[in-house]
Amino acid sequence: MKTLGYFGTYGGVYVPETLMPALEELESAFLIAKEDKGFMGELGNLFRDYAGRPTPLYYAKNLSRLWGADIFLKREDLLHGGAHKTNNALGQALLAKSMGKTRIIAETGAGQHGVACAMAGALLDIRTEIYMGEVDIVRQQPNVQRMKLMGAQVHPVTTGSKTLKDAINEALRDWITNLGDTHYLLGTAAGPHPFPTLVKFFQSIIGREARQQFFDRYQCLPDYVVACVGGGSNAIGMFSAFIDDPTVNLIGVEPAGHGLSSTKHGAVLSKGKPGCLHGMKSMVLQDDDGQIIEAHSVAAGLDYPSVGPEHAYLQEIKRARYESVDDKEALASFKELSCKEGIIPALESAHALAFAKKLCLDIKPGSRVLINLSGRGDKDLAEVLRHE
Amino acid sequence: MSKRYQARFEKLKQSNQKAFMPFTVLGWPNKDKSLSIIKTMLSSNASALELGFPFSDPVADGPVIAKASFETLESGFKTADAFALISEVRKLDEAIPIGVLVYYNVVLATGVESFFKQAKAAGIDGVLIADLPIESAEEVLPYAKANDVDLIFIVSPVTTDERLQRIATSAGGFIYLVSRLGVTGTDKSAGNLTNLGGLISRLKALTKLPICAGFGVSSKQTSSALLELGVDGVIVGSRVIEIARQSEHYESDLAKLFKELHESCCELRSPMDAKK
Repeated sequence: MKTLGYFGTYGGVYVPETLMPALEELESAFLIAKEDKGFMGELGNLFRDYAGRPTPLYYAKNLSRLWGADIFLKREDLLHGGAHKTNNALGQALLAKSMGKTRIIAETGAGQHGVACAMAGALLDIRTEIYMGEVDIVRQQPNVQRMKLMGAQVHPVTTGSKTLKDAINEALRDWITNLGDTHYLLGTAAGPHPFPTLVKFFQSIIGREARQQFFDRYQCLPDYVVACVGGGSNAIGMFSAFIDDPTVNLIGVEPAGHGLSSTKHGAVLSKGKPGCLHGMKSMVLQDDDGQIIEAHSVAAGLDYPSVGPEHAYLQEIKRARYESVDDKEALASFKELSCKEGIIPALESAHALAFAKKLCLDIKPGSRVLINLSGRGDKDLAEVLRHE
Repeated sequence: MSKRYQARFEKLKQSNQKAFMPFTVLGWPNKDKSLSIIKTMLSSNASALELGFPFSDPVADGPVIAKASFETLESGFKTADAFALISEVRKLDEAIPIGVLVYYNVVLATGVESFFKQAKAAGIDGVLIADLPIESAEEVLPYAKANDVDLIFIVSPVTTDERLQRIATSAGGFIYLVSRLGVTGTDKSAGNLTNLGGLISRLKALTKLPICAGFGVSSKQTSSALLELGVDGVIVGSRVIEIARQSEHYESDLAKLFKELHESCCELRSPMDAKK
C-alpha cells in the first residue's frame, strides 16, 4: 500500500491477509480516479443530474426564532435517495466499474446506504447484494422494499447483535471469499485504509458546498457546525471543509440511547476505549477482555460500537468535540422539525438537531449554527409511532 | 523458531511424516469438554495444537467457528480462563508445540506486552493474530521475540510476491497457508488447488519454515490433496467443532477423524508420484 492511512494513532490496516490485495487494488484505483478528469467529470455529472446536487443551504426561520440563534440546515435530506449516502455510493460504484468489478456488496444499518447502493447498482448495471441485520430489517421495512424494488438482493444477518456491526462482519466475510469480481462498497468513513479516506473524499462535497453557499450568501462562516456521528461519514464530509477555519467549532453528536449511565447507548467517543475492530484502530465500545459491546440507538444508522478513525483523532487533538443526546431527545427533535419547519428529519439527523437546540441555550444569541440534515425521516415513521 | 516447533518439525522430517494440527476454540462448549477435546487431540498423535481465543467479531471465521466463539463468550469464558486452560494442557504434554489464534483487539485489550508474557508463561509457542497483516506486525514483533514466542503469519492464494518476501522475513514457527479464498469452514470443498502448487514452490524458495495448510480441510481426502502439493502439514478446525457439536460419542468420532488425518500425514507420496 502507498500509505497505511493513519490519523494520529488511529486508522491503519488491520485485516486478514486475504483482503490485503483487494485493499491495495482499491487504494491504487482511488489514487488514479481522484486525479482523473474523466472520472471526476462523470461523477460530477451524476451528482448534478442524477442526485440533485448542490443541495440547498436553508435558513430555518422558525427554529431560529424559537432557539435564539441563526439556524441553517444543509439539506442532504433532499439528495436523491433521501440521505447523504448517495454521494459515497455513486463515487465507489464508479470506482468499482473502473476496477472491472461486476458485483457490489454492502452493509446497511438504517437502510439508507443499502438504498443508495441499490440505486447506484441499478444505474450502473452492477449486481448488488446488501447485508442487513435482522433487527434493522424489522425497523426499516420501507428501505428494504426500496432496495428490492431496485433489484438488490437483501441478505438478513442473524449473528451477534443482528445490527450494523454484524452486517459489516458478514460483508467482510463475503469479500474475503469473492474479492476477484466483487467490490465491498463500505458505507461509512470507517474500516481499513483506504476506506476512511476515500469515503471522506466522496462525502467532502457536503462541506465544500455548504462553506461556499454560506460564504456567498452571508460573507462569513458559521460559528458552529453540528452533525450526527455513527460511523461518521456525514460528519467528516461536512467537517472536512471547515477543519482549517479555526473560528468554526465542530461538534459531532453521538447517540446516548437510553442514557450514558445505562449499558444501552452508542456514545463511542465518550465512553469507548481505543481498540481495533473492522480493520481499523479507533475508539471502540468493549469490555475489559476486548470483546465488543453492542451499541444501542433508536436511530439504526447510529447503532455502531466504533467510529471512523478520523473522528477519534479530531477528538484527541481537540479540533472537534463530541457530545451525545438520548433517544427521547432525538425523538422530540424529530417532531419539532416536522411541526415547526415542515421537514421530517431522519432519526439520525434528529440527534444533531437535538444537540444544537441545547447548544443554543449556552451560546451568544445570534450565533450562526450550521446543522447537517443528513437524511429525511420518512423511513422512520413506523419506528417513531412505535415509541409513542 | 521456537524450540518446540523446531524439534517437532525436525522429528517429523526424519520420520518422513507431515504435521497434523487440529484446532478448536478454547473454552467451547465449556471448560471441561474443551479440555476433553484437546486431550483427544493429544492422544491421537497431533503434531501440534492450534487453539483459538474466542472473539465477538471473528471476521476471518465462517459460521461454525464464529458460533462456537459466541457461545463460549456467552458462557462467561474470559481471556484469563483461556491462558489457564492452555497452562493445563501444557502440563499434559511438555513437548507439543502450542499455537494460538487470536484477534488483535483481544491482544490490545490485554496489553501487547502482557499478552506475550502470559503466552510464554502458559507455554504457548506461536501466536497468529488473524487481523494483523505484516505491515503492522512491528507493533507486536519485539514483544513476541522478547518472550520466545513465534509470530505466525497467513499466506493466501492471492498474496503477492512482494508481500510473500516481507512475510518470510518476519514469520516464525510455520507459514499458515490458506488453501482457498474465504473464511474458515468446510462448507466448500478445497476447490481449485491447481494454482496452489506454484505458490508453495515460490514460498519454499523464500523461507525454510514449514508450510501448513488450513481452511476447508475436513477429511483424509482433502488433507491428502494438499499434502500432495508439497505442504508440510495440514490444519483441521471447523470439522472438529462440527463433530464435537453433533456427535453423542464425540471423543471416539474425533479420534476417528484424527486417525484418518494422521494417516494421511504418514502415507506420503512424492509430488512426482502424485501426478502419475
